[in-house]
Amino acid sequence: MYKKVMVIDDTYEDRYVVKRINQKYPFSEDLILMESAADALDYLLSKADASEELPDIIFLDIRMPEIDGFGFLERFERMPDTVKKKMIIIMLTSSLSPEDHKKAMNNKYVHQFINKPFTIEEVNKISL
Amino acid sequence: MVVNCLNAINNTDMNIKNMTITNADHENYIDQFVIQSKEKADKYINYFLLSFFAGGLVLAFFYDTWLVAIAVGGLSLLAYYSSKLALPKSNVYQYVLSIVLGIFMAQYIYQMHGMFEMHFIAFVASAILIAYQNWKLQIPLTIVVVIHHAVFGYLQFVGFERIYFTKLEYMDLQTFIIHIVLAAVIFFICGLWAYTIKEYNERQIELSFEVGRLQEEEVQKEALSKTNDELRKSNMELDKFVYSVSHDLRAPLSSILGIVELAKTETDGDIIMEQMSLIKGNINKLDSFIKDILDYSRNARLDSEKEEINFKESLEDIINNLKYIGADNRKVDITYKIENETNFISDKSRIDIILNNLISNSIRYQNPETQTPFVNITVNTSDTEAHISVKDNGIGISKENHKRIFDMFYRISKKSVGSGLGLYIVKETIDKLEGRIQVNSEPGRGTEFNIKIPNLREMNVSLIP
Repeated sequence: MYKKVMVIDDTYEDRYVVKRINQKYPFSEDLILMESAADALDYLLSKADASEELPDIIFLDIRMPEIDGFGFLERFERMPDTVKKKMIIIMLTSSLSPEDHKKAMNNKYVHQFINKPFTIEEVNKISL
Repeated sequence: MVVNCLNAINNTDMNIKNMTITNADHENYIDQFVIQSKEKADKYINYFLLSFFAGGLVLAFFYDTWLVAIAVGGLSLLAYYSSKLALPKSNVYQYVLSIVLGIFMAQYIYQMHGMFEMHFIAFVASAILIAYQNWKLQIPLTIVVVIHHAVFGYLQFVGFERIYFTKLEYMDLQTFIIHIVLAAVIFFICGLWAYTIKEYNERQIELSFEVGRLQEEEVQKEALSKTNDELRKSNMELDKFVYSVSHDLRAPLSSILGIVELAKTETDGDIIMEQMSLIKGNINKLDSFIKDILDYSRNARLDSEKEEINFKESLEDIINNLKYIGADNRKVDITYKIENETNFISDKSRIDIILNNLISNSIRYQNPETQTPFVNITVNTSDTEAHISVKDNGIGISKENHKRIFDMFYRISKKSVGSGLGLYIVKETIDKLEGRIQVNSEPGRGTEFNIKIPNLREMNVSLIP
């Protein structure tokens, strides 16, 4: 059981699925749903000095308007170390593109690459 | 996009064909130049020969040499013009001219009974011949002068009466040699000038051709690099298109799959109903995305049809079909006004695509803070074009996004629903109809799209009663 998990996804249905799975098969005490990368970045910065309130895992979508998943990663790299060291990022996307996969896995903060749909089995496979 | 690529290639192809200067053109140009300078020289020669003939008549007064002036001068003119007429394409007449000028010199010397200055006529003749830029023309003149001097000089000194070469009683060898050397120098220099001028002119032509060729190469290079850029852009668009399509087609499917997996384990009827409606939403999303792609591809592939547009009918249909979009949205007051209705010819399916996309955007992006959301459509048709305005009081578009809203797959924010293809399709479709679109919008105030589409009606049709 994780303390805090964050989901960044612009699609309502996909956030709903994660939320509902956590209700039925709890894997996180606290689940934060963010509908845009910008909101998520604001949240993380606001908690930079309170590391116990930062999430342990971020599930990050790639294709989003304004700031997409890769845009988020760029900005994440510029975050204070307290933020970067606290959490791991897992890409959660419906993209099958090998380029996306490679690009994401080359980023040192990306821990894993999961294809949608989100399932409890995938969560159980995560090894920190 | 593939169509765009092909057009780009075709255009460059044509440009290159139009610009190429062939070798034949090059030779033609040199020929043209030679002919022009020859014609000019011929014109001058006409005046010179007439003057020589007239000069002979004037000289006839001094020693009463009318017969010589008329006969020798006349025969000379006859020889020149008949050779010119007989062989207009060859240069033979120029050699005849060279001889004729030599004979005029001899005639003048004779007419003035050996007056020394009349020998200068040979130099005048030599100078005149430079005009043809051919050093070889100096040769016949030289030969005539040499023969004349030898024969007449000899005959005069052996004592023939009425042979006039010089006024000197006796020309010593030194004078004769200086005379010959000076004449040779003059002929040589005139020949050299003729040769140099010809070389120079030819080089000049070569040079200007080389410059032309380089410029042309430069233009071709530019055209090629432009095509290259266009192709690269099209290729990038194609890549982006394939990537986006595969992703955007898959995204609603994976959402549906996720919910279906969940639903299998649900027991609460309300929750199941909620999940069904989420599935339905995604199916609709997928459906409208596929429709967008079809619209896009039809627009790119098909030529424009020409038919009369009934805006009232089109708008009624579109508004009727759009009643159900945006389930959680309030009802939007849609009104339209058709002004100055004239016979307007265009492509109905394309006009419908444009109107449908713009009106549905107005409904989707209504402003939740407005009490009475509305869309006003105004259509004004004339003999030359239709002016369509779609105006709403929706959320509006910020200035920095005005340009990008027509980009493929561009979605302004998380509030954007749909494929990001709608306005791109509108723009592409209007381009196909050779129309224009312009946006006025301010966040919080609303958006107005102004469109002008040309009337494809043939004007003479309207004149038939």
